[in-house]
Amino acid sequence: MIPNVAPAPADSAEPTAAAVLPKALRQSAVKKFSGSKLFASPASVAGVIWLAVLVAASLTAPLWLPYKTEDQDFTAVLSGPTAAHWLGTDELGRDILSRIFASAAGTLGTSMITVMVAVGLGTTLAMLAAAAGDRVETVISRVTEVMMSLPGTVIILAVIGAVGTNIPLIMAILGVLISAGMYRVMLGQAKSLQSQLYVDAAKVDGVSTLGISLRHVLPGLANTIVVQSALIFAVGMLIQAGLAFIGFGPPIPEPSWGGMIQGASQNVYNAPWLMVPTGAVLALTVLSANAIGNALGKAPNATASHLPSAAARRRRAKAVAAIAAAAPAPNDSAKNTLSVCNLSVGVDSDGAGHGVRLVTDVSFDVEPGTVLGLVGESGCGKTMTALSLLGLLPSGVSVTGGQILWNGRNLAAATDKDMEGVRGREVALISQEPMRALDPMFTVGYQLTAAIRRLRGMGRAEAKAEALGLLEKVGIVDAARILKTYPHQISGGMAQRVAIALALSGRPRLLVADEPTTALDVTVQAEILSLLRGLVKDTGMSVVMVTHDLGVVADLCDQVAVMYAGEVVENGRTDSILDNPRHPYTLALLAADPHANHAADMPERLATISGQVPQPKDWPSTCRFAARCQFAGSACMVPVPLLPSGTGDGLVRCVKADELAVEGLDWVATDVPSHHVLNLVEAGTAPAGPAKAPAGLERRTVEKDHA
Amino acid sequence: MALFITKRLLMALATVLVVAVLAFLLVHAMPGSPGAVSLGAGASQEAIAEVNQRLGWNDPLLAQFFTWLGAAVQGDFGISLIDGRSVSADLASRLPVTASLAAGATLLSAVLGIGLGVTAAVRGGMADRVIGGVCGMAVALPAFWIGIIFVYLLAVQSSVFPATGYVPFEASPQDWALSLALPVITLAVGGAAFIARQTRASMLEALQQEHIRTLRATATPTWKILYVHALRYASLPIVAGIALQFIQLFGGSVIAEQLFAMPGLGQAVQNSVSTHDAPSVQGVVVIATVVVVAVNLVLELATKFLDPKLRAS
Repeated sequence: MIPNVAPAPADSAEPTAAAVLPKALRQSAVKKFSGSKLFASPASVAGVIWLAVLVAASLTAPLWLPYKTEDQDFTAVLSGPTAAHWLGTDELGRDILSRIFASAAGTLGTSMITVMVAVGLGTTLAMLAAAAGDRVETVISRVTEVMMSLPGTVIILAVIGAVGTNIPLIMAILGVLISAGMYRVMLGQAKSLQSQLYVDAAKVDGVSTLGISLRHVLPGLANTIVVQSALIFAVGMLIQAGLAFIGFGPPIPEPSWGGMIQGASQNVYNAPWLMVPTGAVLALTVLSANAIGNALGKAPNATASHLPSAAARRRRAKAVAAIAAAAPAPNDSAKNTLSVCNLSVGVDSDGAGHGVRLVTDVSFDVEPGTVLGLVGESGCGKTMTALSLLGLLPSGVSVTGGQILWNGRNLAAATDKDMEGVRGREVALISQEPMRALDPMFTVGYQLTAAIRRLRGMGRAEAKAEALGLLEKVGIVDAARILKTYPHQISGGMAQRVAIALALSGRPRLLVADEPTTALDVTVQAEILSLLRGLVKDTGMSVVMVTHDLGVVADLCDQVAVMYAGEVVENGRTDSILDNPRHPYTLALLAADPHANHAADMPERLATISGQVPQPKDWPSTCRFAARCQFAGSACMVPVPLLPSGTGDGLVRCVKADELAVEGLDWVATDVPSHHVLNLVEAGTAPAGPAKAPAGLERRTVEKDHA
Repeated sequence: MALFITKRLLMALATVLVVAVLAFLLVHAMPGSPGAVSLGAGASQEAIAEVNQRLGWNDPLLAQFFTWLGAAVQGDFGISLIDGRSVSADLASRLPVTASLAAGATLLSAVLGIGLGVTAAVRGGMADRVIGGVCGMAVALPAFWIGIIFVYLLAVQSSVFPATGYVPFEASPQDWALSLALPVITLAVGGAAFIARQTRASMLEALQQEHIRTLRATATPTWKILYVHALRYASLPIVAGIALQFIQLFGGSVIAEQLFAMPGLGQAVQNSVSTHDAPSVQGVVVIATVVVVAVNLVLELATKFLDPKLRAS
């Protein structure tokens, strides 16, 4: 009867596409005042109205109620709704409407006691545990664990035995029991707030522990506190009604909702109507509190699912059929050649893929046995492009146009069933974080042999031998031992080797590698790269390599496509692009990359690209890089097509490409070293980057102090 | 793992001990001495004092506690002040009733809840919204209200099930099942809704894990991703949710037993609290705690066993 308000599985939002958008876009949604969330859901608006009406009606009850709670009308005992008694009467002829509303204020008020005790105690304990360190936390956590594993109802009844039916006191003790669950909910959040950098800064500044808890941690917990309060309020009302139902309510003849339902249950045979009004009011009140809690607690954007729900898959199948009808695949494409033409990917905010565009008009070809690098900063659509090759775009994102031609088929228009035949067998995937790419619940051996049996149709023993062979092929020495381990028992580099073995298990002809070395140590990176280089040579498969590391490109790739803000800005042969970049963005990437600069011509300061990649919704129809480009001018304020760059078969998307090539301009380091900032600031000139200004100002004050 | 189990066993023991102290103190705070309760109104002061003396009521509190605890450890919770029967014998006859009720309700909640939760998460769209709405209602309606409605519809209007009463298993397995049906369903409505929400949330979280994409990239069939890999990943929080639910349903049996007139522990708590029957209250509080803590311990160990990281260490 005492619900543990522990990790409440509140209705989490349907995973939305926004989750795949860059972080900054999400921030604004998170920071919205929770009040707007309250009024965004019709259920919670109704809840707020109902609670307000109930409280107002109950507090003013003596002024308007047609009867006193004890008035007995013997002419209408157990009556249904009539003009005199709108909600009927009970077995003593007492007016139900009057009794419900007269007792509402008491019920709500005493439930608030539970809320205040549970939330107050739980939050205080959580903040204390977060602030006071591990030992205190362990003690508090142990105590709350014990509290949570108690049969709460039985304890409450024993307390009633000792103190009698003193409802406010009982509700307060109930609050103490529930505070354990509250503590559990709050602890993680309080700890993460406590470990924020600004809290560390406050500590260094000498703010007291109490001050930090009140000023920095408590405000961060505010939303959770409100959400949990609403949910506990509902629990309190249910328990109070339950106690009254079994005879531990306010003394007779004082009305209470639980007591009224108890009375109704005695007469359910001859007057079933009596069950309805009190039950409905109680249920509505609980529903209202829950609706408010759920609306406020709704996660603004859950991470996107990697396996869309059945409903989402049906929607996508429809969209795919439309694409297939629009552009039938030509049958003349070459064997094992990937040809992507005008590929566009969008968010499904209004209909499949018709929201914000994440990738626009991307085209490239990959010849058999060659490696293509997709290069660019984060948020440029590289990963979305790569995932669309396998039909593995996250939930809420889909291909909106263009073709992905592979062995005479348009994969962009293939059904999920068709793609199941392609994935693993023809096109395989390696992800960025090997540890998270492997299923933590199954052994390496299980995952590998299951894939081999499925993709190659082998028997169990044969598949195991093949798994051993594959692990050896990716450079694992003690393959037999690794087969028996779980992913958490091996290192990141080892896990990436396993993931590569898994990708190779179906002998694919095209490997899509999404930043396969980014999450690894530098020494391990080199090993994995050399492994990949060897595999390409041995197996003759082609690779699409997503990376932001131009060193990887130089090392491994035959062709490069540089992506910026969802489009290809330059592509061509690796050597010609690295030696003779034509697009300012490529120039900038090279200038900013410590590995791409040789020791001899290493500049004193590395260049940077000011600003950041704009949000997909802010992409202009003109040159998307112009806002950050050192060479941008009025000529750039037009839509720019991808045109031959003049070096080999290369293409470039810049109106000034020829001009830049002729003048031989370089992307230069524009950031002003901080010792110059002093003069600049004093001279009233704006410093180059807004982020640099405070640093410069600080330095000045420090220097003055020394002087 | 052995260390973990030992630690948990010690924790469980400590929990029961704390509750024993609590129960003892609460009972001593009850109004009226055992003599007064036992002899009822109108007894003479001498008679009351005589009974109190015999029951050791005048001994130091600590001595009383250890006398009681010593007996309780051996399974003797004393004699009821009301009817003079052995508390242990009474509870022993009541435990199977509440145990079948709570176990049945937990089992039904788990089966229904996991089924509904997985369906909501996997199918999405309309199915998800309908299940979400039904669960929201089920959580908001008090169990006793639902129970009365069930009695009215299923026992009074169409006599499918007996309205009240309990038939022991030994007497007739079939009638036993029928007598349990309504109380179990009543309790399971809220329980299933809770577990369905937990399951839905856990499944959605599982499907957001990156390894799901790896499985799809190696052409794993959808059913296998959902029911082998995702459900396996989600199983940890789901089992934890079921453990919480058992505690709740065990407590909920107080109401179900009152509603369906079943001679279980819940009824014993309610009666003994109303009549200030101290030994009965102490006994039932301790027994209920032992059962809940033991079941919780088993389910917690099961959760840990499901997690390869903890199993290995």
